[in-house]
Amino acid sequence: MKTNDNSLFSELYTCYYQVVAHILDEAACHFLSRRQIENLAREHGCDESILSLVPPLLQGNWPFLKKHESILNTYTSALKKPLFPQPLTRLQKSWLKALMSDFRFQLFFTDSQLEELKVALSDIEPLYRTGDFSLFDQYEDHDPFSSVMYRSHMHTILEAMVQKSSLSISYLSQKGNLLNHIWLPCRLEYGQRDGKFRLYAVTESKNGRKRMDVLNVARILSVKRTDNVFSSPVDVDSFLDHSLCKEPLILEISTQRNALERAMLHFSCYQKKVERLKESDSYRCTIYYDQRWETELLIQVLSFGPVIKVLGPESFLMQMKKRIENQALLMNGKGVIL
Amino acid sequence: MSEFKELIRQFDKIRSYVRDFYVYGFKTRDDFREKSGRTYDNHRRRMESWFSDYIRTDQNGHKKSVFLTLDSSRMAVNPLYQAWKSKTFTDNDISLRFLLSDLLADDRSRSLETIANEIQERYHCFFDTQLIRRKLAFYEKEGLITRKKEGKQHLYKRNSPLPFTHPHLFPALWLAVSFFQGAAPFGFLGSTILDFWDKKNLFFRFRSDYLIHTLEDEILLSLLRAMENKYQIRITIKGTKSRHTNILKVTPLKILTSVHTGRRYVCAWQTSSQRLSSFRLDSIQNTELLERDPCYDTYMEAFSGAFPHVWGVTFGNFQREALETVSMEITLDENEEDFILTRLQREGRGGSLKRLKPGLYQYTRLCTDSMEMLPWIRSYTGRIHSFHCSNPAVEKRFKDDMKRMETLYLSSESTAKEMHSLTHQSGKAVPLTPFT
Repeated sequence: MKTNDNSLFSELYTCYYQVVAHILDEAACHFLSRRQIENLAREHGCDESILSLVPPLLQGNWPFLKKHESILNTYTSALKKPLFPQPLTRLQKSWLKALMSDFRFQLFFTDSQLEELKVALSDIEPLYRTGDFSLFDQYEDHDPFSSVMYRSHMHTILEAMVQKSSLSISYLSQKGNLLNHIWLPCRLEYGQRDGKFRLYAVTESKNGRKRMDVLNVARILSVKRTDNVFSSPVDVDSFLDHSLCKEPLILEISTQRNALERAMLHFSCYQKKVERLKESDSYRCTIYYDQRWETELLIQVLSFGPVIKVLGPESFLMQMKKRIENQALLMNGKGVIL
Repeated sequence: MSEFKELIRQFDKIRSYVRDFYVYGFKTRDDFREKSGRTYDNHRRRMESWFSDYIRTDQNGHKKSVFLTLDSSRMAVNPLYQAWKSKTFTDNDISLRFLLSDLLADDRSRSLETIANEIQERYHCFFDTQLIRRKLAFYEKEGLITRKKEGKQHLYKRNSPLPFTHPHLFPALWLAVSFFQGAAPFGFLGSTILDFWDKKNLFFRFRSDYLIHTLEDEILLSLLRAMENKYQIRITIKGTKSRHTNILKVTPLKILTSVHTGRRYVCAWQTSSQRLSSFRLDSIQNTELLERDPCYDTYMEAFSGAFPHVWGVTFGNFQREALETVSMEITLDENEEDFILTRLQREGRGGSLKRLKPGLYQYTRLCTDSMEMLPWIRSYTGRIHSFHCSNPAVEKRFKDDMKRMETLYLSSESTAKEMHSLTHQSGKAVPLTPFT
């Protein structure tokens, strides 16, 4: 076999090592009390990590902490060198090497950086070949990742996000309107289904209120960094909370045609809750969704046909009924061609 | 009674539990009968600890279900990666990981004896030289250190971190890793790179992301290794419906990922049936490498010939003359519903689209198994002027489904039943609070 046989499930990647590294990093700067060590274990570890991590650290089974000579129960690091960044394993590098043949990879680098990385990883075998995968149902109109202009726009956006500077963008909206505006770029969202990047950016409306806009990166005509730098972070999620559905979608899922298994996996990317219904051989699924994507969700529900039934909310149910009514008319030859 | 441990020794022990808690979520302790109640309790406690921010419980009478629920589009890093970061280790493992790393951080080369002595002098710890040698060999295999021979002895040196050796690559490489840890296969490795650099994903989110795929990564890696080297393998499959276990000899050819249904498959040449078949990765329990397959290129050719005619993952007994024809006519308002045409074009997977008259378009496609197309066809419900398929069973299924949908939604009885159902919800009446 050509490729390396390093294991994915390895002690090297265990979260405890990272928690200990953070505690020692902090303990290298100043003495830490037991409480502070516990807090760091809580912050960087899992809920119960503290129980397994702190005793061996303080009792010396893991010999990385030294007790303060005079102040009781305070500790400093016995290590001399900074713990971050750590060198990468061969497996991590082979993952990076595999990414280099992904057509989206160049969006993050200049040509000279790509060349430098190629040399740095020259003795590493790629973990996989991009050609071994087929995303067979991805939409065909994904973003033009190989376009020189698109790549240049991405570079500018990424640079601005890191520097927290705003951008002057000329944008062609979906309705064909040309918009010229100043936006502060906050987040890039990648859609796996359509292969598109969407930029979440804040702007100020005429009344001075902040507004979050979503721009399709492929529709940007030109983009330029401005000198305005914003130091305070923008909480993108709080903007998105406004578009959360008021009432969740409630579905009844039957067990016919393996519908439960199919639906559970299909809707696993949503926040949801599933209950077994006592009185029937079916399940109730409650899905919380972003109203911006309601039509997409409606289409997904329709694709399951009669093995899923929408119970609510009323507005969603009415949309379902409308479509089924239209379909019934078409099937009975009474439908009107629009 | 053994003490509870948050970390685990073997990944495959936890794989099905994480899946059941995340994908299904309604199962109670009684549903996990394959193992003992104590095993369930320990795994549940582990998951409550690993995924504490996303764990919810639901009490239904005496039965409690624990489940994992989250909106994947809000996640900076896939929380399920935590399962990969939970491997047990010994006191010696962690001690030498940190002490060797600290000692060798000055990038000087040292012999084994020097290393053992310096550990004792600097950190006042004594480790057996053989133990240190074994650890150094492990780190060398993992690529963390380099060994070279000088005279009669071997010298060990730490490999420098990329941010030190190639500072010009940053922050670009950090941004790329932040993105691909959520958008590429084996993203878990990307998240460990962020861990190693003490960095976070600050800027990227992923819509319609199937987080569950990470649980199949070990299986995926073994399949890819076999594919790269053109090997035949033996796979153990546990059916998602029947739970029946089957052992098959196959030659893996391609990984087929559905970004819409959340399923991942491997398309392989099945030796016993002499045909192309697809197997879901989440149903593969383990793989065993056999020998190099001399016919690999022939099978790959068969795949390449058949794949353009496959809608999803069913190859059937592919014969060009036996392809099925699907044709549907779609109505739309050409002035206001251009997006329907866009949908047909971008989602149609090579099907042809023809304007029959204003507002009426015909979509046609040949495929190996037209039953696979039905979910996509049904997504146009309300616009399908006509539907025809050369496979009468598929045409019948479509028409029956539409009739059943009418009964479900449009009959007066169904409306009454649905109102009853909404007002008499089983279990806890308090709805789940969305994360805000």
